Amino acid sequence: MAVPSVTVSVEPVIENKIQEVKLDGQEIYVAPLSMSENLTKLAHKIDFYKDESDEKGKPTSEGEKEEEDEKVLASFQPSLWPWDSVRNKLKAAFTEMCVLTDVLNIIKEKRYMVADPVSNEAPENKSSVLLLAKKRGLVVAANVLISGAERLKRSHSEHSNRAQNDYFIELLKLRQNWRLKKVGTSILGDLTYKSAGSRFLQSGTFEVTKVIEEKTDGDGSHSRGSLEVVIPSELEGVAYIQVDVKSVPGNILMPAGLGVIRSDAYWQQKLEVAQNVLFCKELFAQLAREAVQIKSSTPHMVVGNQIITNAFPGIQLSIVLCHYTGKEKKTPQAPQKLEHNHVLEHSLHQLLREVHYKNINYVPPHPVNAMLGMSKRRRLAGPLGTSRRELVEMNVRETLLEQIIKQTKHAVLRLRTMHVLDKLAILSDPQITAHWSCLNSSLECSVRINITTAGYEIVRSNSLVLIIEVDNIQAILLKDSKTITLSFEDKALQDLILWQVSQHHIQVVTHLAKCHSWTVISTNLNVGIGDIDVYGTATSIMMSSPRGDKVLSLKSGAYNKIQMFLKEVTSSELNNLSTAVVDPKWQKIMGTFKQIDVDRLQGKTFAQKVDMLMAKLSTMS
Amino acid sequence: MGVVSVYMFPVPEGKSGQQVVESLQKSIELLGATKTGNFCVDCETFQTSIQNTQQRQVNILHSSDHPASCFAILDAGTCLVADSLFDGLMQKLKHYYQQRKGSKIESKGQRYEFGDFVFKVGSVSLASSFKGILLEIEYCPCIIAGDCWGLLKEMASSIVGNVAEQQPNVIKNKLEHVYTTADTMCQYLEHFNNYKKQTIPPTAVSTGR
Repeated sequence: MAVPSVTVSVEPVIENKIQEVKLDGQEIYVAPLSMSENLTKLAHKIDFYKDESDEKGKPTSEGEKEEEDEKVLASFQPSLWPWDSVRNKLKAAFTEMCVLTDVLNIIKEKRYMVADPVSNEAPENKSSVLLLAKKRGLVVAANVLISGAERLKRSHSEHSNRAQNDYFIELLKLRQNWRLKKVGTSILGDLTYKSAGSRFLQSGTFEVTKVIEEKTDGDGSHSRGSLEVVIPSELEGVAYIQVDVKSVPGNILMPAGLGVIRSDAYWQQKLEVAQNVLFCKELFAQLAREAVQIKSSTPHMVVGNQIITNAFPGIQLSIVLCHYTGKEKKTPQAPQKLEHNHVLEHSLHQLLREVHYKNINYVPPHPVNAMLGMSKRRRLAGPLGTSRRELVEMNVRETLLEQIIKQTKHAVLRLRTMHVLDKLAILSDPQITAHWSCLNSSLECSVRINITTAGYEIVRSNSLVLIIEVDNIQAILLKDSKTITLSFEDKALQDLILWQVSQHHIQVVTHLAKCHSWTVISTNLNVGIGDIDVYGTATSIMMSSPRGDKVLSLKSGAYNKIQMFLKEVTSSELNNLSTAVVDPKWQKIMGTFKQIDVDRLQGKTFAQKVDMLMAKLSTMS
Repeated sequence: MGVVSVYMFPVPEGKSGQQVVESLQKSIELLGATKTGNFCVDCETFQTSIQNTQQRQVNILHSSDHPASCFAILDAGTCLVADSLFDGLMQKLKHYYQQRKGSKIESKGQRYEFGDFVFKVGSVSLASSFKGILLEIEYCPCIIAGDCWGLLKEMASSIVGNVAEQQPNVIKNKLEHVYTTADTMCQYLEHFNNYKKQTIPPTAVSTGR
């Protein structure tokens, strides 16, 4: 058991002297001396006036002795004569000069020393050696030049000899476009889309061979090179995918060939065609697999190289793989004009490329410890606590076939809408204008329909927006923002537009009433009397002239003609008034309605006719 | 995502847990609910294993209805909703957070759906010994607890009776806030802790539930 121990502190003895003790008990120590200060202190102790020799033998501390010596020496040096060095140098110079004069005197006497000049030898002039040296130099230079010229001559001659080098140049070009590898003695290449993300198992290896010719072709065309490629047999020929949308299931059309590729065509063309064949095969194999596997409401039929499915009841989509190898026995009949839906075919190609792309490129981030390829929503599913049901919904992925069927449906709906609008645009009486939105996708587009009368464009509140989706059309009536969902039957759209047209007529009349200051007595958007309309409801309006003596009543429906009735008081009735009627205003309620023949009225459009009628009725009284 | 209320259904004396569970299931089926599968909510407890520091506990909960998530609730009440890879992280931290042995508790049972309601009848077992019954009722359309508490109470009282009168603490605190899955897990944890406290011999403090 540990007992709290007593703390014992060990401290050194305070060496520093206390300078001051403050009033609060704090002690201020004298700061310890630094090295230089210590030295100064010791130096003060030295007595320089004593003789050095007296102190040499004394056994004082060494440090002090050395300091003393240095101090002594240092004190003597400045007392030295400053001109000493000058004197020494002058002395040396004088000595040298004396020696020089002595030597010269001795030489003058010529008894012990003589001065003699030194002579240079003249160089030998041997021309033959020079010549030889020059000759050798020239020979070396000439050799260098000759070897260079020979090399140029050789390469020039190689250039003219094309057949020998064509192969390598062609091989270089081939390597720039395709992946090649050397296996044993042969060179093999890869045609497949494997590096782009395809998982199709069919191999597409082609072989590269050398062709040795004696002479080039007569036309000397560029395409005849010295390199040949051998395509595997199953990829020979030309292939394409044909997509067709038919309204009535007809006979299965025999695919007519596009023409076979020449066997002496340029290798690039051959390889591209073979790759296309492979791509079409992969696309068709994927579609056929999905058609068989997925369970949908409408069954899909796979017959040989054709897939048939129903987009809408009565509309059939057929996808055919046409592969023409050129080895067929019977010659095909005159190629029929096949219906190609190029847009859908291109879409199919794009969709498969997208599948390839997704196989290779995963959505970032690429974590080390988690699964790759999850979308951002799926990755956040954990931290957000999403339920199992939502996770299942997230996991649903569309197959290629489903996507193309959706696109087909939308294309069909769009075409039908266009046809309906074109048919109705023939009507001259209200003008129907369609503005198609430029922002659209393969699954959705929108169009705005305006109904106006020429000359009375101020009345334009009757517009609708159609949003064409995959299965249905959403119609938004902009007058009151009502949304109606239409099925794929085009009659429904026609009915809707004609109904809007009938309402437009009444709107124009309402506007005209304001202009002519006719009083609108009543309007009814859904008249429940009279003949039942084929579609929608009839609209009616009743208005009276400014004087109040004439009443005009109109009824307009989608498919029924417009009916107009006019009530006015005839002169004969006026004369038969009884005496009970006191006020002339009561005359206005007399009279019966008579129908007006709209066709015989003057005016090009209905609005003009009513305009003219109202003007005449206002003046006539 | 809706508002969830978890109730503890008491097991009366003399009856086995299995019988009570079956009677509950029958009453739910009588209402007209359809069985949609099984569910399991389990909880593991981890404790700090460093000496001289305050002992902290982390509870890791999983729910089969949220298979992608992992819920980590501290003893202080903070709740973390993470991806299921969080378990791996806890394994890496096993030097600092050690799993308490014999503390794995789970509630397992059937799941029923009835219109907008989801019922889950679970029998709680701690280390394969039966502890009690938890009934979870979820009302899917609403996300604010205060708005649909009355409706939940009525539905619950038709099945469990008086137990439904008392609001769970978690809901009481969050009547005006958006209800999240983490709150459901906090309710489960509260119940699990109560069940764990019941194992301590009667001389210790008893739960006031």
